[in-house]
Amino acid sequence: MQSEIIVTDSLTKFYGKIKGIEDISVEIPSGNVAFLGPNGAGKTTLIRTLLGIIHPTKGTARVLGYDIRKEINQVRDRIGYVPEFDTSFIPDMTAMKFVAFCARMNGLSVSESKQRASDSLYYVGLDEERYRKLGTFSLGMKQKVKLATALVHDPEIIICDEPTNGLDPTGRVQMLSLIRSLQKNEGKDIILSSHLLRDVEQIADYTLVFSKGEIRAQGNIKELTAEKRSSISIKVRSNQEKFLQRLNDKGIESWIDGIYIESQISHDVEKEIFKIANETNADIRYLGNRSRTLEDVFINLFSKEDLIE
Amino acid sequence: MKKAQSDAYVRKFSFRAFEGVRKGRVYRLWATSWQWWTHQWERSRAIKVLLGFIIFILVITNLFLLSFKDFMLYEPGTRIPLINPTTGEPMTTNNLLEQNLLELVRGLVTFQTSFSSQTPGGGEMGMSIGGLSIFILILIALVGSGLIADDVSNLTTEIYYSKLERHEYILGKFGAFFLFGNLVIVLPMVLEFFLLVAGLGEISLIQAFPVLIQTIIITEIIVLTFASIVLGFSALTSRRLYAGLAAFMFLFVLNMIIPSLAFSGQGEVGFQILFDVLTLLLLTSFIITGTTEVIYYPHGETSEISYIIDLANGSGIESWMVIGALAMYILLGFAIVVYQVYRRHAR
Ligand SMILES: Nc1ncnc2c1ncn2[C@@H]1O[C@H](COP(=O)(O)OP(=O)(O)OP(=O)(O)O)[C@@H](O)[C@H]1O
Ligand SMILES: [Mg+2]
Repeated sequence: MQSEIIVTDSLTKFYGKIKGIEDISVEIPSGNVAFLGPNGAGKTTLIRTLLGIIHPTKGTARVLGYDIRKEINQVRDRIGYVPEFDTSFIPDMTAMKFVAFCARMNGLSVSESKQRASDSLYYVGLDEERYRKLGTFSLGMKQKVKLATALVHDPEIIICDEPTNGLDPTGRVQMLSLIRSLQKNEGKDIILSSHLLRDVEQIADYTLVFSKGEIRAQGNIKELTAEKRSSISIKVRSNQEKFLQRLNDKGIESWIDGIYIESQISHDVEKEIFKIANETNADIRYLGNRSRTLEDVFINLFSKEDLIE
Repeated sequence: MKKAQSDAYVRKFSFRAFEGVRKGRVYRLWATSWQWWTHQWERSRAIKVLLGFIIFILVITNLFLLSFKDFMLYEPGTRIPLINPTTGEPMTTNNLLEQNLLELVRGLVTFQTSFSSQTPGGGEMGMSIGGLSIFILILIALVGSGLIADDVSNLTTEIYYSKLERHEYILGKFGAFFLFGNLVIVLPMVLEFFLLVAGLGEISLIQAFPVLIQTIIITEIIVLTFASIVLGFSALTSRRLYAGLAAFMFLFVLNMIIPSLAFSGQGEVGFQILFDVLTLLLLTSFIITGTTEVIYYPHGETSEISYIIDLANGSGIESWMVIGALAMYILLGFAIVVYQVYRRHAR
């Protein structure tokens, strides 16, 4: 069963005249959710609005049933937030102190916050470095500290904004497996904001695709990438033009798509294709449905211009 | 293979659900203030050294006072009490406590000019061991300048605002400065009161009590003013160095320049004095101790030249102007902080 953790109602945020997000009304299910979109699409703006860091120009939202306009502090205690900014926090403070401090800001007692800070840093793999000053941490370590600050008060939802930014391949794998384990083993709801398809594909079951401050598509990744094609893909080795020409002559609408020829599906089309291939001496190497990746979905949703950045 | 590695990396057994009850907003406010202040304390050795200086000066003052107590109370070589020039009554130990403690308190906000008053506790017996003001100014710049500026440069505001309300953030910052001020400015003076009471002996506590209250009120006003000014500067920039220098210059340089301008005229004291925060604080301290006639010696107390600032004669600088100007400064600093936190940080 999927229940909604966040429901927004025509949520809009303008930075002066610059649009951050406009008129977003979505229901975000629990589980592993991804915000996917190119730079400047409004992902961070939506997250910061949900946390009350910025106030919406219009509209409102409910997080776990709490209204962000009236009960923002209830919301804040239930969300763990990994910001996207590259911050050294308080450079001359130890990781332990800083994470414990974050816990106290969310209402944990002094002893509880120390205990949990230690646990959280252990969880993200920084147990040995926890008494080191944050200013000496590498980018990857800082990302983990951010995750520790997001975990320390035991929130129900963890929002990670570009958590793999600037990480090397190992760091990326570690970070993603940490996030996945939070969902799988601790039952946290995860929101991952990213412009990286491979991150989203690894983590999320459900995705919202952002573009220019609006949501272009949303749904289960499985459904989004499922076959819904009206054409069949053919790959031939020789006489490609002649083959294509003949297909169209015979009334099978066909076109070239990369190294494939795509043909409109109709009754008995496959039989016909083989017949034409025989006639034109085209050597068929592949015939069938290519499976769609999230990337196909993504690229279909955006014009070239969108993707240039 | 990769999977096994990453699973070993995640040590799931260390994660525990939180089962307690979250504490309320007041606790959080206290926790942030305390953390912000102790961090300033821990990060800087200079703060501890300066505090050491302050304590040293207080100790010297005590030693001086206790050693020469008799010289200040009696005619040389006799037990005949000296006459308090302002009251015409014999000097008492209470007079000694009052004038010396208040002088120390005033020393927090003055170094250049020499003021004295004509009410009980004034007189010529005050000794000048040098104000603490220079140390205090450096201290407040060190402690306060980074309180907001560092959050902006380190982007920690993003984390704070995801957990705290804006007004909680502001109160927390002022709270941090107040913890500092109360521990480093107010508390030493209160302790000094009790040390003097214990050391001087023959003190009527009931008579001395108002001095304690005055000391607390004056020092708290000093802390409030400094908090507003230094946090105002800290909110204007993302560099703690600029904020600290600006706050220091603003207090120090104005105090170097303005009094000499204000006192350059013949007899009349110029209104420029209202722009000098340290002098305003000094005059306020006189107002709080019930003095409205303050004598200013531009060239030191031994010189012939002196001005009288009458704060209650209906002309020139008046008490309400002093209090009003000081309040304006406090409000201005506070307004800058509020504006920056609600407007500029709200991006
Ligand atoms: N503080 C701000 N002031 C003015 N405009 C802003 C501010 N923050 C974001 N914007 C604008 O709002 C739009 C959405 O930005 P946002 O940061 O939400 O995008 P994003 O999807 O998170 O992008 P990225 O992948 O780069 O993090 C952009 O056009 C951006 O320029
Ligand atoms: Mg972003």
